[in-house]
Amino acid sequence: MADQKLGNPAVVGLAGFGLTTMVLQFHNVGWMGIGPVVWLGLIFGGFAQMVAGLQEMKTGNNFGYCAFTAYGCFWIALALLLIGNHYNLYVSSKSDIGWFLIAWTLFTAILWVGAMRISSALALTFTLLLGGFILLDLAHFGFPELTVVAGYELMACAAMAWYIMAHLIFADVFGRDVLPVGKPWLRAPAAPVSALKVAGAKA
Amino acid sequence: MRAKTLIVAATVAALAGAAGLSPGRIASAAADDVASPEEVVSKVWAASRFLNEKGASGIASFNSKDGPWVWKDSYVFVYDCRLDRMVAHPLRPDLVGRPVMQITDNNGKLIFKDLCKAGGGKRGGWVEYLWTKPGAGSVSRKISYALGADIAFSTGIQVAAGVYDDKASAADLAKLTDKMADPAKYPAH
Repeated sequence: MADQKLGNPAVVGLAGFGLTTMVLQFHNVGWMGIGPVVWLGLIFGGFAQMVAGLQEMKTGNNFGYCAFTAYGCFWIALALLLIGNHYNLYVSSKSDIGWFLIAWTLFTAILWVGAMRISSALALTFTLLLGGFILLDLAHFGFPELTVVAGYELMACAAMAWYIMAHLIFADVFGRDVLPVGKPWLRAPAAPVSALKVAGAKA
Repeated sequence: MRAKTLIVAATVAALAGAAGLSPGRIASAAADDVASPEEVVSKVWAASRFLNEKGASGIASFNSKDGPWVWKDSYVFVYDCRLDRMVAHPLRPDLVGRPVMQITDNNGKLIFKDLCKAGGGKRGGWVEYLWTKPGAGSVSRKISYALGADIAFSTGIQVAAGVYDDKASAADLAKLTDKMADPAKYPAH
């Protein structure tokens, strides 16, 4: 049992995040209605991504633990918010949704910094996500035409999430890194020689 | 038992209150079966606000001919100026989801091109054209008020409704709309 290979929860988290984000953008640019966004938001972007996030806890990956669980909850909350509007449960107006998005923008800004310490691909995903949230914030407060711009921008974000998912899956099935994710944008500063000596002396 | 009675009473009161506030009830001095321009403006403002509050889930109620958006001889319709399609229409389900920009009246006027232009302004605008009056066989002169509806995760949606009138001019109705929108323009006496 101890030697049994474990899957990486991130492949499911990235799949659900990417697909549901993609489908919301298909709505935002006007290709389809909001219906599929609600149901995918509950099940794939929501439930599956949230469970993947909770599974990250045991891998010791705090970034994935927080990000997948939180964005899973984002999708569940957004879907319930849209359902609530239909049934007149705590109806959320356009500006209410705008404030909801602003809170998620602030949260995303924190994870964006963390992502820059992990890999180029993840840093790019979070840069696009943060940019998309900011565009949607503006779209909800006076610049509705930016909804479409945010739509195309966030499609690129969703595609980046799938790229990282593909990186993990292809590395596993091909046995080599087919789709590299690149070095982190923020790297650890080289430790001064004196510090290394002190550390070595203690050991 | 008493608590249950209270809950029932409260629910009845709440429902009655909601009915009283519904956009379907607008007091008017106009004839019973003919919508007035003031009613049209109120309905269109209410429709725009309703969609701003309810988002995409509010669209369906505009497809109901028994709903709050059909009254007397008028009704509110919803269209998308960016994607060129009818979003909701209570009396013409055949038009819903279809392109609208190419629709012309008997005089060759591109109705929705003008509606989109007029509705694009901050306070919306009036457009005259020829359209079939509900229940009538032939076309009448219709003058409609169009206004944008600011909906979450959407852009380019407008709502409009009109009166069937042979005399009213777009300029006069624009003055009326300005007066309704600005308390300072109301006469003091």
